Amino acid sequence: MDLFADLWLGMSVALTPTNLLFLMIGAMVGMIVGIIPGFGPSAGIAILMPLTFGMDPIGAVVMLAAIYYAAMYGGTITSILLNTPGESATVASTFDGYPLAQQGRAGPALVMAALASFVGGTIGVVLITLLAPLFSQVARGFGPPEYFLLAMMGLLCLVVMVGSDWRYGVISGLIGFALGTVGVDLETGQQRFTFGSAELIDGIDFIPIAIGLFGLGELFYAFYEGRHASGSGGIVQYQEERRFWPEVRDWIETRVTLARGSLIGFVIGVIPGAGATIASLLSYSIEKSVAKQPERFGKGVMAGLVGPEAANNAASAGAMVPLLTLGIPGSASTAVLLAAFLLWGLRPGPLLMSQNPEFAWGLIASMYLGNLALVLLNIFAIPVFVAMLRVPYRILAPAVIVLCAIGTYSVNGSIIETWLMFIAGIVGFFMKLFGFSPAAVVLALVLGPLAEEALRQTLTISRGSFAIFIQRPVSIWIVAITLAILLTAPLLRRFQSRAA
Amino acid sequence: MRVAFTAVILCAAAFYTYWAFAELSFLSSAGRLGPGFFPRIIGVALIIGCVLTLAGDLRTREGDAVSSYWRITVVVASLSAVLILALSVLGGPLAMGLYMLGTLSVLNRGKVLQNVAVSVGLPIVLFLLFDVWLNASMPSGILGLSR
Repeated sequence: MDLFADLWLGMSVALTPTNLLFLMIGAMVGMIVGIIPGFGPSAGIAILMPLTFGMDPIGAVVMLAAIYYAAMYGGTITSILLNTPGESATVASTFDGYPLAQQGRAGPALVMAALASFVGGTIGVVLITLLAPLFSQVARGFGPPEYFLLAMMGLLCLVVMVGSDWRYGVISGLIGFALGTVGVDLETGQQRFTFGSAELIDGIDFIPIAIGLFGLGELFYAFYEGRHASGSGGIVQYQEERRFWPEVRDWIETRVTLARGSLIGFVIGVIPGAGATIASLLSYSIEKSVAKQPERFGKGVMAGLVGPEAANNAASAGAMVPLLTLGIPGSASTAVLLAAFLLWGLRPGPLLMSQNPEFAWGLIASMYLGNLALVLLNIFAIPVFVAMLRVPYRILAPAVIVLCAIGTYSVNGSIIETWLMFIAGIVGFFMKLFGFSPAAVVLALVLGPLAEEALRQTLTISRGSFAIFIQRPVSIWIVAITLAILLTAPLLRRFQSRAA
Repeated sequence: MRVAFTAVILCAAAFYTYWAFAELSFLSSAGRLGPGFFPRIIGVALIIGCVLTLAGDLRTREGDAVSSYWRITVVVASLSAVLILALSVLGGPLAMGLYMLGTLSVLNRGKVLQNVAVSVGLPIVLFLLFDVWLNASMPSGILGLSR
């Protein structure tokens, strides 16, 4: 009964006209972020975070979270109509989505993808509703050793699972940790790496780094790839099709796929570092392996589109579980969301649900409403988003660069931070070019201070002995889970490459 | 190019580690772990990581293929630096307008009317959004052309 009471409280928060308005704005912006190729939700949230500073905290976080999960919906449109994934998590949707569109079934593909996203997202939120309180309960027994191990688990998993070479991921994570040590040491008050600069006393601000690495760096990389030179001529003209709505056989063929994709997605989403991209590719691979006619995959099978779509949306919901209940982000996007929470004075973790129930349950309730709004937007506002696809990248990109600069400046009115954003953009470009991981930098920058504090507290408790990490039952469990994830990572990567 | 990039990170890591050892104490005055403890671990790990990666990259060295669009990337990055410089001199709206006009005249050649419309429209929209609606600070510049 408590669960329903909490959810009811959340609904009463989410259903206020202001929060509904912010939810809709977030959903629209997330869709737009999703349809811009190479521009992920991390960049979208980071760039738009400064816009939320004048807003009510709950409304702001509801909006930023909506950008996060709406990007999954938006990325599908370009996958199906343009054969270009708007978002890395929708790569798998191109495999059968685009062939379906070429066969004159773009309408049914778009509708089925939207409904699969809705089912995946909603099942994900239902599972958050059921599991988040349990996670919080368990996490209340955590001490500094467990928090340090959790932070390391999040980062290690991201490093091992994402990117072409884990060595570059490790270096990226260490750079993030190093950046996180700049500023005043909270325990002793001594300045570290500030070199006498007053601007650095509070540490390196997260927003310029995130906007630079994800926003500006991605844009520079898109220019380097020549995206500005390609037009929008390849869009499939779905309006000329005879049938827009799916047929009954589409539903029948995909009903088990929907459930399977959602569950796979949620489980993968909860694992730190794995994320929606791996979830969607894994779902595609599994659907192909259990299909009666696997040779049809890649030629326009509805199950090949529906499975990954349900999985990536369920995964984005699943990733909210460790964020809300442990305060540990498992991906770059949730790291940016965590930074937004902290900026608003909200500290996610085991006590969030008891100390800030309006916020925690308001956010969860808004995700139910957001998924509902997004399925309607995806079916009935497709022409609007297709029209946006026609805006040439060469006009869109400079406008986003201006938004990055002005957005960064507006946070603290600091031109030095705007330059910092620019430098981070250049570094982000080279990191992407050479296979390093900007996501690991950002995740480590967020987790670094937390990990350092937890490690120092742990070693103080244990009088300098590292054995404490394998003496406490919960710590042993976390170490075991981390090892299991790291050992299965090569398997997941093999699935990923097989599907690709 | 990748080797050079990793070498730059290695140099920065070496400086970071030197500073952590030379300027930051391992233990605090109370005998607890001090401000230098964590940076020393990070610095040493970063140096080891960079050295191992460099050694691996040098062993299997492959020529970096450079995109034919590198020039336009340099132009856009340079114009972005000019934008930030102009923000502090000319103020937000004027700098944004000039940047858009300059960048679009390079990227979207021959479409003068479209470029002018976007260059005028975007700064107005962003000014209204940030300065008027959100009441967020927008750079006024030395010339004080924005409030």
